[in-house]
Amino acid sequence: MKKGGQKKQWGLLLFALAYLFACYWVFTKSTPLTNDREITIRIAHWQIELGPPDGIQAAIDRYEELNPNVRVKQVMVPGTVYRQWMRANFAGNSAPDIVEYGAWLDGLADLPVRYFDPLTEDLMQPNPYNKGTELEGMPWLKTFTDELMEQRLNSPEPGQYYAATLTRGSLRLFVNRDLLKEITGSSERVEDFEGMRRIFKQTAAYSQREGRKILPLGGSKDNAIWIMSFYAGGVTNKYNRTLDDYGFLGMYPWQTQWKYLNQEWDYQTPGIMAAFKILDELDKQMPLGYMSFLRDEAVRQFMRGEALFIFAGTWEATSLRRLAEFPVDAWRCPQPTTSDPVVGEHMLGHYADGNVSTSFGLYLNKRSPHREVAVDFLRFITSKEGNQLFTDKSGWLPSIKEVSVAPEIASFISPEDGYTYPGSNISVGGGTRSVFQKNLHLMTGPEGSIDNFAAAMDRDMPKAVRSSLAVYERSARWAVLPQDSRVIAYGGLLENNPGDAALLLGQQRLEAAQNLSEARALMIARQLELTADFGKN
Amino acid sequence: MSSGEKNLQSGEVPRILKFLTSAALCLGWVSQTQAEDHNSEPSLDQVWTYATTSQPIEARNILDDLEGLDPRVETLAHTVLDMSRAPLSETQWADIEPVLAELAQGDDEVAARALYLQARMYQIQQLKPDYVRSTELYLELNQRWPGSHWSQLGLVKLGLVKLYALPEPLDVEERFTEVDALLAQITEPTLRRDLHLQMAWAGLFHQRQLDDVLPHLIAADKIGGMMGITPEDVMIQIGELSFRAGHLEQSKQYFERFLREVPSNNKRYNVRMRLKEVDDALAEQEGAK
Repeated sequence: MKKGGQKKQWGLLLFALAYLFACYWVFTKSTPLTNDREITIRIAHWQIELGPPDGIQAAIDRYEELNPNVRVKQVMVPGTVYRQWMRANFAGNSAPDIVEYGAWLDGLADLPVRYFDPLTEDLMQPNPYNKGTELEGMPWLKTFTDELMEQRLNSPEPGQYYAATLTRGSLRLFVNRDLLKEITGSSERVEDFEGMRRIFKQTAAYSQREGRKILPLGGSKDNAIWIMSFYAGGVTNKYNRTLDDYGFLGMYPWQTQWKYLNQEWDYQTPGIMAAFKILDELDKQMPLGYMSFLRDEAVRQFMRGEALFIFAGTWEATSLRRLAEFPVDAWRCPQPTTSDPVVGEHMLGHYADGNVSTSFGLYLNKRSPHREVAVDFLRFITSKEGNQLFTDKSGWLPSIKEVSVAPEIASFISPEDGYTYPGSNISVGGGTRSVFQKNLHLMTGPEGSIDNFAAAMDRDMPKAVRSSLAVYERSARWAVLPQDSRVIAYGGLLENNPGDAALLLGQQRLEAAQNLSEARALMIARQLELTADFGKN
Repeated sequence: MSSGEKNLQSGEVPRILKFLTSAALCLGWVSQTQAEDHNSEPSLDQVWTYATTSQPIEARNILDDLEGLDPRVETLAHTVLDMSRAPLSETQWADIEPVLAELAQGDDEVAARALYLQARMYQIQQLKPDYVRSTELYLELNQRWPGSHWSQLGLVKLGLVKLYALPEPLDVEERFTEVDALLAQITEPTLRRDLHLQMAWAGLFHQRQLDDVLPHLIAADKIGGMMGITPEDVMIQIGELSFRAGHLEQSKQYFERFLREVPSNNKRYNVRMRLKEVDDALAEQEGAK
């Protein structure tokens, strides 16, 4: 055999060996060739702003130190495509082991039960990573500051816990401390809305005196709607309490909507018109045309020193503080009091400005090949140590008890000192916000008035409210439909395994959940039927 | 020309490659077989387990592989999986309903479940519900299998329809009397709880007297085991409605219990403030004595 031929034979042999090895790897391994760790899990989320990815990575780094055989990869997906990304990856069986999800994500209501694994049993056990801390021995569930309230409200299956949460949030007024001192001579927080009115006036005077265009509030459509909803909600608390005939000490959106269609309230009610007076005042403190700006523009106004304050959720805080060249303070929003000269008589009292419930819910992929490891990582990142790393590096509040809160974010926590009676507001769910946006100029424009605005809201709202209530009805009804199969399947299992307590509990929970949804769907259908003629003309 | 080139030209494959290809295929086959070996024997329980967790495709794959199943059980299982991808089209509905109707003719557990599902088909699984037909079927279920789980669950469903969906009777109290009669036949505590709760909430919807509403809320709370936010809501409701009805001690008891048992809820401040009002009213009442 010639030398060249031999070489080719060897070449083919090497190729064949490589092919054989590749076959072996494909059939028997799922991890990359270069991975020196046995197990890789992935965690996906959409919190890609400054802060949270650093917080998660810090927890990952420590976890990998503690668990040398595990690699944890962070998958960051932009919020704009997150829903489509989730749907495609779960359908294609390529979804990460842990994913962020929220019950309010439109069009994904079928995902949780199909693709997520409940954590209920795990949450009842102590978190081993809390050993040696004040939380040692405490069931994992009890270590969350809110004991996972969001799951009690919105669990895919009432009674089951599907998520562990990382943080909590509130609404704050972020202030350019240096500029405030320059304008007012003080950087101290003012106590109430009267104090804000003084700052509004001082800012206008300063702006004129210095020939420098500065407005009190950074303005964009998003920020305007957030601040207006916040203040309107506070002023309408007292009136909303009178609408609470179910005695929940609050109302769910479907109740507010039903009461609107049933003509129990409207936008021309004095208790609601009072809120519009505050909105009119706020409107004047933002740049012209703010409703056509995106939220980035409001941030830019604030960064450039053209706006003294920006109203936002605490999720914006890390970005604001890292990007700003001046110190940024976060104020609890100064509120109108019961003695406020404009709205005082309509005020119930101080109102809530922070969420008790924790958020950034992480769910477990039911098809994860590494369930134990994924749960173990969730335990770590929500342990005292893991959540401390997260909060320190992200600048977001922790979700776990006993985790120290850095002084610069301590003001994000709201004590239990405010009423919360949700109900009538500038929007009441579904597509009703667009009615507010469309008509706002009737109050704030050159010939605008609160009366014109309120009348226009009542002209356009019935259709939007009806449509939103119909969506509630349809969602509740559709949630019920596939449950019939599941209920019967439980029957099949119990026939073969009589007396199995876990199965019996599962069946009872499912039936109870179905009864709740079904009754709600029937009730809303009846409400829609009874009010079918309202707002047609 | 080398032997390799010759082989390529003649289409012959070197012996070593033949061997390795066969080895690779064998390896693949072996690993696949091993993977299959990891799975346990397919069983009906697996079918039902997948169905309980909304995984009908996996359930059907196993069901198709099962042998020797009772034909009635197999038919029911197929029908249940057909129904799991709701909402059903008119064609699917028309295909499924007669199958359930036929299964319901028997006198076994399969028949009871099929009859329950048939009632559900008329009540909720079609776009325009036929409440008259579903009511007949629930009553038939209760007559043929009195006291069974399916008959009692059917009575709860019938109660919900009577509370909200049926325009008649116009008289609210008559409506509640009919549902009371259904409640009396239900013995399973969790199902009694569910109907009690809905009777309370429907009572508020129909603006019944608070003293007609409160006993149902209290009964549901006593049975317990409610899920999600409902038990917290019910505690608040009993406290608040008792306050409005003038049952101050009862109101105080439930508000205090709420604050004790629910450490985190957005409404805690509302409850604390209301409890102060209750305490003031109690003090006033005491002073008047």
